[in-house]
Amino acid sequence: MTAPSDETKQLRPALWETVNERYPGSLITMNNTIPLARLVKPLSATRLTFVSSAGVQPKGSRPFDVVHPVGDFTFRQVSSAAKVADLEIHQIKYPTTGALKDLNVIFPIDRLQELEAEGVVGGLTPSFFSFIGYQMDPERFEATLAEEIADAVVADGAEAALLCPA
Amino acid sequence: MSLQYLKQAVVENDTEKLIKYVRLHLGDGNDALGKQEIDKAWIEALKLMLDVPPTDMEFIFTALNNQTPATLAHLFFHLHFYFVKRSGEWIHDGTL
Repeated sequence: MTAPSDETKQLRPALWETVNERYPGSLITMNNTIPLARLVKPLSATRLTFVSSAGVQPKGSRPFDVVHPVGDFTFRQVSSAAKVADLEIHQIKYPTTGALKDLNVIFPIDRLQELEAEGVVGGLTPSFFSFIGYQMDPERFEATLAEEIADAVVADGAEAALLCPA
Repeated sequence: MSLQYLKQAVVENDTEKLIKYVRLHLGDGNDALGKQEIDKAWIEALKLMLDVPPTDMEFIFTALNNQTPATLAHLFFHLHFYFVKRSGEWIHDGTL
């Protein structure tokens, strides 16, 4: 399990300035930062999950709606035992050239499986979680997708989560 | 652009802001490229019509008459990218 830390500083404050400059009117601010959590037991005894906005999904599942002007507020569960060959990426807003050569550059499923096999992490949850990062409605995102993923992560028995923005 | 910003533009009928967003969205953040992408999709659709091939008018009118405007709008966005992809010139690899 994890416990709140006293660390409240933003990790990349300049990121928001960049977004606001490129998309005028974005009005993105981050003044309600939730404190980061600290592990309360060794990582080698902790069950890890992985949450990604890379748009990676199992082949054959309904593709993410990457053309919707507001966003796709759904997520896909990806088996943590899946092979890269079982997965595909649906994304048009972020570079995918590297990911198409090796999906691990953005969705490091092989590396996480290796960390589990080596005992670096105590285990992996049965599923990882994936969605697309293009979301124009943060309130809807927070009230629906984020809550649904959080519930699914808890239901999957996660004790720590690796969050990976695309 | 935030959704709130766009909704306010709709209320104020500020077409400049709205078209800028459309172009940014379709051009992956590049205004000028977004305009080209819109033109590209229409040109691709036009090319398919010049020989007056048979088309499924029943499908078209059934969709127009029975689907909600929101569904048709959603389809419109998908059709844009469909025709852009058909053109063979695909900029949406995230490298812009």
